[in-house]
Formats: sequence, structure tokens, C-alpha cells
Amino acid sequence: MRRVSRIAGPLLAVVTMAIGRPAVAQIDLSGEWAGTFYEDLPHRGGMQLGDYTGLPLNEAGWRKAQSWDEAVVATHERQCIPHIATYALRGPASIRFVKVIEPDSGRLVAYNLMGSYGRPRMIWMDGRPHPSDLAPHTWTGFSTGRWEKNTLVVSTTHIKMGWLQRNGAPTSDLTTMTENFIRHGDYLMAATILTDPVFLSEPFIRTTNFALNLSRNADAWGSCGPQQTVDELPNAKLGYVPHHLPDDVAHVQEFVTKNAVPPDGARGGSETLYPQYIQTLQQLARNESDPRNRVAQGPPRTENPRRMPPAPASGEISVLKVQGSVYLLAGAGGNIAVQVGDDGVLLVDAGTAGMTDKVLAAVRQLSDKPIRFILNTHAHPDHIGGNERLASAGSRGAGGRPSDNPGPGAMVMAHEAVLHAISAPTGKVSPMPVAAWPTDTYAGESKDVSSNGEAVQLLHQPAAHTDGDSIVFFRRSDVVVTGDIFDFTSYPVIDAARGGRFTGVIDALNRVIELTVARDWQEGGTMVIPGQGRIADESDVVEYRDMVTIIRDRIQAMIKKGMTLEQVQAAKPTYEYDGRYGSTTGSWTTAMFVGAAYRDLSKR
Amino acid sequence: MSPAIGLAAHARTHTTRVTAALFRVFVFSWLVVGMAEVAAAQRGGPPAGPPPTPRASAPIDITGNWVSVVTEDWRWRMLTPRKGDYASVPLSVEGRKLADSWDPAKAAADGCKPYGAAAIMRIPGRLRIAWENDTTLKIDTDAGQQTRRLVFDKAVTPSAERSWQGHTAADWERIPQPGGQGVSIQQAAPRVGSLKAVTTNLLPGYLRKNGVAYSEETTVTEYFDRLAVEGGDWLTVFTIVDDPRYLSQQFITSTHFKREADAAAWNPTPCGGR
Repeated sequence: MRRVSRIAGPLLAVVTMAIGRPAVAQIDLSGEWAGTFYEDLPHRGGMQLGDYTGLPLNEAGWRKAQSWDEAVVATHERQCIPHIATYALRGPASIRFVKVIEPDSGRLVAYNLMGSYGRPRMIWMDGRPHPSDLAPHTWTGFSTGRWEKNTLVVSTTHIKMGWLQRNGAPTSDLTTMTENFIRHGDYLMAATILTDPVFLSEPFIRTTNFALNLSRNADAWGSCGPQQTVDELPNAKLGYVPHHLPDDVAHVQEFVTKNAVPPDGARGGSETLYPQYIQTLQQLARNESDPRNRVAQGPPRTENPRRMPPAPASGEISVLKVQGSVYLLAGAGGNIAVQVGDDGVLLVDAGTAGMTDKVLAAVRQLSDKPIRFILNTHAHPDHIGGNERLASAGSRGAGGRPSDNPGPGAMVMAHEAVLHAISAPTGKVSPMPVAAWPTDTYAGESKDVSSNGEAVQLLHQPAAHTDGDSIVFFRRSDVVVTGDIFDFTSYPVIDAARGGRFTGVIDALNRVIELTVARDWQEGGTMVIPGQGRIADESDVVEYRDMVTIIRDRIQAMIKKGMTLEQVQAAKPTYEYDGRYGSTTGSWTTAMFVGAAYRDLSKR
Repeated sequence: MSPAIGLAAHARTHTTRVTAALFRVFVFSWLVVGMAEVAAAQRGGPPAGPPPTPRASAPIDITGNWVSVVTEDWRWRMLTPRKGDYASVPLSVEGRKLADSWDPAKAAADGCKPYGAAAIMRIPGRLRIAWENDTTLKIDTDAGQQTRRLVFDKAVTPSAERSWQGHTAADWERIPQPGGQGVSIQQAAPRVGSLKAVTTNLLPGYLRKNGVAYSEETTVTEYFDRLAVEGGDWLTVFTIVDDPRYLSQQFITSTHFKREADAAAWNPTPCGGR
């Protein structure tokens, strides 16, 4: 029995710990939950234009909301967009929490949360990290969860540009969301806190309530693919972007008149959310002539500095799989696309000259095959600076085909305008060494390449970012590489000295939208690698195209009024986009962009 | 019996004895620990000594200065809505009739009707929350200058007279555990987190300033939670208003407040002052 005692002591301790350990089990949230609509009812369906009450919109957010035209949701590119994560819990329907369990251990891996007219959202509970900043954004974003006492705390990032409510009140793709789910018996409260440096002046909190629903399932919303969209806007051509110009405020007048809400309060904003604003409302009620009682916008009252953080200058290369056989290498200047396969490696662009060793090392992580092709999207050094060394590290001649002209050095291919830009007539000094020049050029509208069994097309886009832009389309991988006609970190750069034109950029963006085909719910499908910035899809390009088109329409309207460039710049036609794309310093400022647009549009 | 067989039999006997002893230890431990937890759970505190006071056992601290952040129902809370605008409120036929009879010209005479316990958390304003004693949390509002007392001591009963804030019985919310009152291998300590408050004994008042009424039969159930999130410290109040007379179903709202460092912005205003 002494031996029993020796065993029993530790066993008792183990059993005691096992039975008496602190509760780490979660409160069960799984099931169907019906929304209770006792708050903000008019805000939770189709709602009136001009009603931004209760939203901490900054001036950029309010102006963007006011320019929104509801016809935009009828465009082909937007008909299938589901409720975004920032709104899905507010929509008029039930939600469903489903546990995702690891079968062997019984461990909770994730919750699957179905929001109203939204897409199922995975809330990962297994401690996985959030993706790279360069990863694509989606309507649901990427969510991770943890339990704190009785609260499921969910953090969501990687959300597309979207909305707070369905009348144009915007959110940017820099938005992050924290949700706190707390169960009280058969009720569930979700407190959602949104942070958006671009369109909100402070974190936006709202609480949404649900009741356990034992009698039905949360609605399934079937599917919505591009084949299901219809022509809701007769005669609307590709590139038509419905919106309201700043002077056009008739659409927001109805709300303030009908509901006796002063326009200053209807605009939202941090100051309107706090009790002391009631005194302002009382003053406005006493003084009808107060300018804050008018819906007219007037010029922007504040500056809108850039809120988009600069790309991390770590000097390192980030490697992300895009899809199919295509990868993104970021961090070497302009983005580089890499296609790998049995034949070898194909690069779209080569980054800066100083980063070639690191680019080569990154390529070697993906393939030990030789670099066969380098395709240049245009002639700028941050995209072709690495041509010389990367080409010399490769070799042409895949598969022993006579037409491949086997030999040392990769084939460097571009539109002939690129060669013109970086070479010089005999006797003159060229901007780039001969070894960096394209070895093969094309002069027509397109050029085909077969690489690793995949059709790859170079599509010339005349007079856009430069006069020699090529869009590269990987047809099997379904990836489009745009070069700098789509710069996701900045307003489009117009290199007028090399034949670039503002209107040509809009044409080029529309062409990218023509090439891309989204999957169901206007997400994914053809993926897009921009010249700079994160991986995108069609809906991201649509947002960017819309932005450039709206700015075009504003500047055009100002030119029609006879305004000078200085007057146009002072009127800040880009104002609400400056936080995301603008810059007051560096090689491409907002003023330079407006100037390029003004000069180009004045010629028409 | 061969020596080998005898050795094996001895080993079997020994193993059986050990197994039986271990089993007894296991059952004993299970019962002792499990029952101790059940007892602790039923008492709401550790097994020995007097139970801690509600103040000492508070799982969350909601004391301090808080300001309402009106991001929902803005035009019904920041402004006095127009007569007949009772959007979102599930009024009964009688309740609707009463709301339709409200006279804006006489709103000044409504006094503290919109500041009763069923609505006071929705009035834009500031809260000052503090322990009045070990069993009572006091909530002062600057809007309407009201005081609510959340009473944890169950021996305290409602006063004979109804009031705007009524009588509020408070408790720390406990999450039901598996195994009921029996002993389960999965038994765990009760989980708490929210402050639950049930208010009765109310004077009739308004859910909204435009005469959307609740009756003296109303019961208000509230859950107070505190959320500490990056960039903010929030208090949420989940409110269920039950009024068998003027509501056709429960009226459920949730209201949020942001912590303030001090009471510098405290602005006491009498009923009707805003």
C-alpha cells in the first residue's frame, strides 16, 4: 500500500487540477439569432440620402457620402456586391453562428458567422496571424477571435472599401473592426467598433441586438455571379460612374426638410455625437440664417492629409502567391510578378537596379529554373532597373524549340516605346545601358507569349501612364499585371513627357475592368497586381476607376465654368480621396496630379 | 501452483488492489472537489469565511465618469421627435393612442417623465458611477439630475412610493454551468461578467420625449458590460423594457458610453433643460 500512496498523492493532485481547473470553456454562441430592430430602423434598410446622423464622419467622409448616387449600385460591377462586414450585422435579417470543431480534439477552431445578405465569415479561434498587408481584401475581411471573460472579442482586417450604411457613408480599405459579442440569456449583443483613418474622425461604435431564434434558419442568399447581372442602366457604357457633383445638393435636401434636422447635424461628425451638441442644435433652431442650416457644401473647411501609411521600407522582398502559377514580389521598387513552371521563370518587371540580388534570392525561393522572360510594363527605373542583371542571370530557350533561339540571357520584352524611352540615337548617351534594353519589342496592339504552357498577353495601352504601357494578362492563372496605370498607393502618375495622359489612364483602367471577371459576389476571380501596393481584384480597380472618373468630371465642370488651374487646385476637387491617395511632398503630389488632369482635359 | 503462476497471480492481485485504490481516490477527489465547487457556486464565493461583498466580488469595474456617444437613434435622442414619430418602438394600440395625444405645446409640463429609469440611459448625457456602500452602486446623471441606486442587498425592498427611478435589484450575472445541481466531471466555476439590474416600482414616464409612454407596470431589465478595446474604454447597457400596457412586445435597446478621465464636462441640467 505504500506504493499505492506514492501513486495516489500525485494522482490526487492531477485529478484535483483536472476537475477544479478554471473555466476556459466558452459561452455557446452557436445557433440562429434574429435581429431586433428597435434602434436605427430607418438606417437598417434602404435609407434616405443625406442622413448621416450619428456617424463620426470626418469632412472627407461626409463629402464622399454626399457625392454618392444610388444609381451606382445598378452598374454591372456592383450588382452582386454583398453586405460588407462593416454592415452585415445591421442588415435586415437573421444571423447564424456555427462552431467549426476539430473532430479529434473537440477543439474550437473557428466560428462561421453568417450575416444578413452577407457572406459567411470565418472567425478563426486557433491563434493564426492576420495576413500580410499586401494580401487581397474581401467583403468579409479576415477575422480572428478570443474570449475575454464572457465576451467573444473579434478583430477584423483586410476589409474592402465599403460603407457604414446604405446611403454612401463610406469606409476605406484601411478600416479595422473590433466586435464584442456578449450573450445575455437568449439575447446577444454585438458591440462593433470601427476605426478608419481615412473617413472617420474617431472610432465608431454601435451596438446591435439579436434574440435566439429556434424556429428558422438565417436566410441563405443563393449566389450572384457576373452572368446574373442585368442592364439596369439603359445606355450606360463601360466607364459610366453615377455620382453627384459638389454643387448638386438637391438629393440631400429632402431628408433635412422632411425630418426637421439641421444640415449641420445631418452631416454627422464627432462633435455631433456628444451631449453638448444639443446646445448647438438649440442655437441653430433659434437662428435660421446660420450658415450651418444650409445644405450647400462650400469649399472644404479643413485639410485632408494623407492617412495611407507609406510602404515599409525594410529593404526586404515580400513574396505572396497570387493564384495559379503567379506570385507577387513586393519591396523592390515597383511590384514584380513572377510566373513559375517547368519551362522556367517569367518576370513582369524587374524592380530597381539596387534590389536585384534580393529579387534573385526571392525568385530562387520559388523556382530553381532559369529566368526565361522579363516583360516590362513601361520604362520607369523602378520597374526596369533590374533588367540588366536579372536578364543576365537567366537564359532563353525553353524546351529546345528552334524558335526560342537558345542562348544566354533572358528575353526582355516590351512595347517599342519603352525601347525608345531608354535608348538613344547613335552617338548620344542613352538613359539606360544597352544590356538593360528590351531584346524584343512589339509595335502593335498586343504581343503573345507562351510560357510554362500558359498563354501570356502583353496588351499595349496607348498614352496612359506613359506612351509605352503594357498590361500583362496571364490567361490560365487569371492574373492581370497593370504596371503603373493602376498605382494602388497614389493618384495615377501621368508622365506627360513620355506621352502619358490623364484620360488615357481612365481608358486603361476601364480596359482592366473589361479584362477581369469576378467570381460570385463580385470578389476574387481575376486577380490584379498593381504597379504599386497590395493585390487587388476587379472591385478594387472599379473603386479606383470611379475615383479617377469622379475627379475628371469635377475638373471638367470647373473648366467649363472658366476656372483657372490655380482656382481648380484651390477648390480641392480630389479632397475626399487625398487621405488615401494624396501627397503634398515627393515626386508626385496631388497638385501635380490635378495639374496633369487640368491640362489634359483643357485640350479636349 | 508453479512459482511462475503464483507470481503472476500475486501481480494480478496487487494490480487489482492498486486499481481499486486509485479508483477510490479518483471518486473521492471527484466528489470532494466537485461538491466543493457546487457549494461555492451556490454561495457565489470561496468555501470558507463570510461571502465577499458585491463590491469586493465585482468581476467588472464600471465606476467612473462616462459620456453617452449618440451614434444610434440620433434624431430621436438629440432632438425631440415630431408628434407621432415613434419609429422602432413596438407600441400597443393603447400606447400609440397615447403617443398620438401628446401635445408638443405642453411639453414643458412633462417634467421628468422622459428621465425615468426606462429611458434615462438613452438621454444624451454624462454618468457618474460610484459605490455608495458595499452593496449599492449609485448612478448619477447630469441630464435631468437623476440618481439611480442599484441595490445588491436582497433584503432591501421597494419603498411604498413609486418614483422616476423605481427600485433596482442588482446582481452579478452568472452563466449556467453543465451538470445542473449534480456533480459533473466538466463542472467549472461560475462565469460572471455582466451586471444585471432589474427595475420596478416606476412612475409612468416616456421612452421618448415626444410622449411615447411607458406605464407604471413596466419592468426594466438591464445588463451593464465594460469593453476595453484598443483606443477606447466603453460601457454598454443592454436594456429590455417590458410594459404589458403600452408595448406590444419587449422594447430592446443597447446604449454605449465612453469613459472620461474626470468630471470636467459634468453639466447638471434639470429635467426638460435639454
